[in-house]
Amino acid sequence: MSRRIFRIVFRALGTLLTVAILNFILFRIVPGDPAQLLLAGARTSVTVQQMDAQRARWGLDRPLFPDQVVDYLSATLHGDLGYSFKFRGRPVADLILERLPATIVLVGLAQMIAILCGVLFGIYAGWRRGGAVDRIATGASMALYTMPSFWLAMVLVVIFSTGLGWLPGYGIYSPGANIGSTDRFLDYLRHLVLPVTALALGLIGQYVVVARAAMSEVVTEDYMVTARAKGLTNGQMLMRHAFRNAMLPVVTLITLNLGYVVAGAITVEAVFAWPGIGGLTVEALNARDYPVLQGIFLLLGASIVLANLIADLAYGLLDPRVRQ
Amino acid sequence: MTGSSQDKAWLLEVNGLSVDYGLKGVSSRAIESVSFALRAGEAVGLVGESGSGKTTTAMAIAGLLSPNARVSSGDVRYRGNRLPIDDDAAMRPHRWSETSVVFQGAMNALNPVHRIIKQIAEPCMLKLGMSRGEATTRARELLELVGIPADRGTAYPHELSGGMRQRVMIAMALACRPSIVIGDEPTTALDVITQAQILKLLGELRSQLNLALILITHDLSIVAEACDRVMIMYAGRIVEDGTVAEIFARPKHPYTRLLIDSIPNPANGKKVIRPIPGDPPNLVIRPSGCAFHPRCPSVMGVCGTEVPSLYKLGQGRVACHMYESSQKDKVAAHA
Amino acid sequence: MSESTVRYSPRGRAGAIKGFLRRFLGYGGAQVGLVCLMFFLIVAAVPGILVGPLQTAINATGDFLVPPSSQHLLGTDEVGRDVLNLVVHGARISLTIALLATVISLVLGTTIGMTAGYYGGRADVWLMRLTDFFFVMPSFVLALVITPVVLEVMGRGGEILGLRPSLFVIIVVIGMTSWAFVARIVRSQTLSLKERTFIDRARIAGSSNLSIMVRHLLPNLVPQIGANGALVVAGAIYVETSLSFLGLGDPLQPSWGTLLSLAQRAGAASAGAWWCLGAPGVCVLMVSLSFVLIGNALDDTFNPRRRVIP
Repeated sequence: MSRRIFRIVFRALGTLLTVAILNFILFRIVPGDPAQLLLAGARTSVTVQQMDAQRARWGLDRPLFPDQVVDYLSATLHGDLGYSFKFRGRPVADLILERLPATIVLVGLAQMIAILCGVLFGIYAGWRRGGAVDRIATGASMALYTMPSFWLAMVLVVIFSTGLGWLPGYGIYSPGANIGSTDRFLDYLRHLVLPVTALALGLIGQYVVVARAAMSEVVTEDYMVTARAKGLTNGQMLMRHAFRNAMLPVVTLITLNLGYVVAGAITVEAVFAWPGIGGLTVEALNARDYPVLQGIFLLLGASIVLANLIADLAYGLLDPRVRQ
Repeated sequence: MTGSSQDKAWLLEVNGLSVDYGLKGVSSRAIESVSFALRAGEAVGLVGESGSGKTTTAMAIAGLLSPNARVSSGDVRYRGNRLPIDDDAAMRPHRWSETSVVFQGAMNALNPVHRIIKQIAEPCMLKLGMSRGEATTRARELLELVGIPADRGTAYPHELSGGMRQRVMIAMALACRPSIVIGDEPTTALDVITQAQILKLLGELRSQLNLALILITHDLSIVAEACDRVMIMYAGRIVEDGTVAEIFARPKHPYTRLLIDSIPNPANGKKVIRPIPGDPPNLVIRPSGCAFHPRCPSVMGVCGTEVPSLYKLGQGRVACHMYESSQKDKVAAHA
Repeated sequence: MSESTVRYSPRGRAGAIKGFLRRFLGYGGAQVGLVCLMFFLIVAAVPGILVGPLQTAINATGDFLVPPSSQHLLGTDEVGRDVLNLVVHGARISLTIALLATVISLVLGTTIGMTAGYYGGRADVWLMRLTDFFFVMPSFVLALVITPVVLEVMGRGGEILGLRPSLFVIIVVIGMTSWAFVARIVRSQTLSLKERTFIDRARIAGSSNLSIMVRHLLPNLVPQIGANGALVVAGAIYVETSLSFLGLGDPLQPSWGTLLSLAQRAGAASAGAWWCLGAPGVCVLMVSLSFVLIGNALDDTFNPRRRVIP
């Protein structure tokens, strides 16, 4: 068991290292060296001494490999992700940490809702294959699956915000209002509804599709015949024998959809001007703020590696066959 | 069979049972007018090729017909009471408590994510209403009964050998003290030595617990080891029924003869399996008359037109036109 | 599990293809998907004939943000361009990007998967390590960072193969980051095919490794590659649309994603200009759905029991 966990963690670290090195290479490909870019971003007159000081600070006077790579990696490990061009030389790590909570709330809520609803609908659809729930859920999830989340977000804004005026379609708090903390929280919740709905709906389709496929496989297995022969009711067969087995492929496949989660989160934030990582990404892209972009890439890479790690470990808990 | 006076003694009666499967509008008959009866503690082998209807017969008895199956005639009686075999929910109380099944290839028949002790204890809790503790104790006893140390109960199916898994399957089948155990090819995919051990175990448990055993197999030699009586099925019908001794000594139906001939027997120099010539019957487009006549070495004119009925001959029954004249003579002599 | 290998003997080929088409077209999803896709392909082939040349802010024909009318069937955008005109031209850009990216992805995935599976050993280990990285890291995340950097290096001016550099870069980046799934499937299929006698026969007959791979393995891999190719296209459309929405597309050759991005920047959603964002979104939805339906039908045809997606 421990050897398997060791292997999983080792592989995760390997992927993370590859992400960091890719980050380093990309950073160095950009024309002009970081010192130049940083000082250009600061829009000050640059003296030769300042330039050299920057070069020395970045270690650019030393060989690319191994010195610069090692420096970069050790700086990254210490939480030093460089300095933003756009935000007047602020540390990238600070910028990211500042924006992270808003994204975690949005993605966390949407993921929880999507996994819960998606897996339940999908499992039920696969269990009663060809039934009414199956037909509706499969049709709807196919459409949601192929629909870009940000488009869904725009449609929701047109209908519920601009059209009906029920919910705010922009930002995290209503502007200008100087109100009490309870009202402020309610205002925050109202602002959350549309972004969370857009992101969750975009993801639900995937979980339905995946869970349904997994369940359709499970119901044909021999141990389901055994369970029926044992005189179990349909409910007992579903809960005791089918559910856990169907969850196995679901856990694996959830990690395959992480690209959709990231793409959905970033673009939906862009639609709602949500002050999270997605908003930061758009600002960094528009301003060609590479250090921030690199920091975001590292963050996304690390989150994906972490999600895969959790999924691998969870799989081991669910399936005794892979434990040894 | 032996007259209505003894009917109460039968544990299980199958009367003229016919089952159809519907698939995309095409209906095919899996079994046709199958009739037989079983006493408590009796061991019967159900032998035939794949598609002969042996599995459908057994699944009908266990109340495990698939949703696309339809009982078109006949019934199954257990201790004299008609079983609702085409009603999934109504059959539930009967399942496992009265009739349990040892499935083939126990790897897939056991749930891979649960410990074996849990899988054995499950029916004790759900069907017998035992507490978790009582059920676990019972499961440990059952493991010991089938020759597995009770402490191995914490293992998962994949951690056991094929023979061990089959023993677990048997322990599970005994959980609710059923009176009938159906063995669905229980020794397929096991090596010869393990196969013999499992058959021996089944035999011992049968006499110890007074179980009726229905053994489904395509292998006559297994029946010879484990059963008192054997029924040969072909294309959904019973073609011969008799004691093991009788059938091996004097097989009557030409198909039975070919089956016995095809068993490899190193003792008399027969080392290769000799297959029966011709193709297994197509159940959708069934041959006219006796379904076996296209492959039968002793085929007669009447075989292609008339379906032979299953009639009593000597100690057993046979469905073949060859013996009809002697049967009729006998009936005439009696009259 | 069903045997999914298709034997391509010269004589049996016509019959096999005919049988395949009959089964494939028997699926309702395949029919809907094909009809829908044909429509968009025709539109993408001749946009000029249908709606005239691509409108820009200079040759725009209408007022700003006019709702659909008889003159502008889908209304106009924030600089007065006809939305129908933009969407029809967008079909060409979007489909070109998605299909070319898929070709790159399939060529890469098949080459890497087949090489790894056929040679085995150290080549297999290293190629699969590479594959694992791209399998874990989503195409969108890689493309999000690589695209702007490569664009910065190359510059945004001029044209490459008739495409603006930003589109060319997007095609290459999506293609080069989305092949891992194909590589895995091709590798496992190659491993099982390698054990078959016809490969041994070819080897004994003195065929080179390359010729065995191209002439004997590849034809048998076509079903898997085809079914997954259709799903790769749907994925490529998703990634392209999302990237373009974030401003990585090219305003001079607008894809559907770029149109949505422009609509967003112009505040179309909050202005209630639903027509600006409705048409491009519905097109994206219909085209991806068609590819998914076709992919599933192909998968069902070749592999009746196992389904990637229902």
